[in-house]
Amino acid sequence: MSTMKKRYFRWTIPVLLLLVLCGCGNHTEHAEHNFFALDTYITMQADGPEAGAALISVEELVTGRERQWSVTRSGSEINAINHSSGAAIMVSEDTVQLIHFALEQSRQTNGALNPTIYPVLTAWGFTTGSYRVPTQEELDELLPFVDYRNIQLQENTVTIPVGVQIDLGAVAKGYIGDEAASLLRENGITSALINLGGNVQAVGAKPDGSPWRIGVRNPFTDGNLGVLEIKDVAVVTSGGYERYFTDDAGNVYWHILNPQTGYPAESGIASVTVVAPEGKRCDALSTALFVMGPDRAEEYWRDCDDFEMLLILEDGCICLTEGLEEAFTLNGGESSREVTVIRHET
Amino acid sequence: MKRNRLWMLLCAGLLLAGVIGCLWVARLSGGEIVEIVQNGTVLYTLDLARTENQIIEVSYQGRTNTVQILDGRICVQAAECPDQTCVHMGYLSDSGLPIACLPNRLVIQFADTELDGATN
Repeated sequence: MSTMKKRYFRWTIPVLLLLVLCGCGNHTEHAEHNFFALDTYITMQADGPEAGAALISVEELVTGRERQWSVTRSGSEINAINHSSGAAIMVSEDTVQLIHFALEQSRQTNGALNPTIYPVLTAWGFTTGSYRVPTQEELDELLPFVDYRNIQLQENTVTIPVGVQIDLGAVAKGYIGDEAASLLRENGITSALINLGGNVQAVGAKPDGSPWRIGVRNPFTDGNLGVLEIKDVAVVTSGGYERYFTDDAGNVYWHILNPQTGYPAESGIASVTVVAPEGKRCDALSTALFVMGPDRAEEYWRDCDDFEMLLILEDGCICLTEGLEEAFTLNGGESSREVTVIRHET
Repeated sequence: MKRNRLWMLLCAGLLLAGVIGCLWVARLSGGEIVEIVQNGTVLYTLDLARTENQIIEVSYQGRTNTVQILDGRICVQAAECPDQTCVHMGYLSDSGLPIACLPNRLVIQFADTELDGATN
């Protein structure tokens, strides 16, 4: 072997070792983890250092929150409030924050979001699966209890009058999605997608830098109507198609109720998709805007500057705000639909 | 000289095996491959385009989900569960969301779709 060759050979092993050690220091990995919680199927994927361990810690977070905030689970803080017989119940700081957020959103939407709708939802059977149409007398008895102002939050105690029941289901999943995203970011994850049964929360973009492609369900039939391309935001959709039943006469009743009437909200909207940096805001608004209807939703959007929305109307038309104009693409077979872009007045 | 030829043949063989492997993986990752998953364990991986019409029964804690494969589509035909959500979901579609039966911990999903997720 010539001297030249020997010199090259001498350097080969240290260089290879260095490369291997550099690789070890980074620990970047792709991980996926799916599980059942929050009454839904949760899927997660992440890329980054120790991504697998980070996703396991998200599962622990989610199951912990379920124990705290489930309306049906005995021992949860929400269950304790609902069985308080009017007494003040001390709750954790996390629950205070969640209730505070729900009340703030209820005020902002003038009660279109209402965390006290639970007794009426139960009368319709949407909480039990035993669906039925309640009589007007039943609704008249329950509606006086449906008022978010019945919830008294003082420091760490919550008080509700007898007859009032709360359910934070319209904001909790979004809230937990935000917490999960924060936890992943704290763990150095820069690219992740969490899907809490349809509540989508994106951390950054895909590992190659391209946007996440999220299907928007067609509310009239199976499959998607189009695709949203997003980065580092949350997307939540609410629609009557999610949970509904049909009576003997063929009338369809869905689970999004108008807190004023106690009947399914018939606002002319078939589904609402909200895109915003915070999942909790998306979650709250997707329900509230559905109740408001297209005109009030548009007005509300003009008054706020922290979210974008995509409304699919009962007549099949689509209204989307200008921030989604580039991000949303209709599927090939849907291109004949009328699409209106709502813009800020200049 | 002979040794060089041997090495070349070995490399060509490896290359060919690699190409065949890639083609096999690409064939499997098409949009027609579905997984039937129970509690995180993949029970079945099926290519809907090549699977004959059939019924698959999947049990969990004494309760059964009856999965139907019909003309290249898959659905839960019947389920021993209180909410029947999985039955109402109909055939698995390209919406990006799986068919899920929460009480029986059953999920039917495409192995690979062109979407990263879906809202519902």
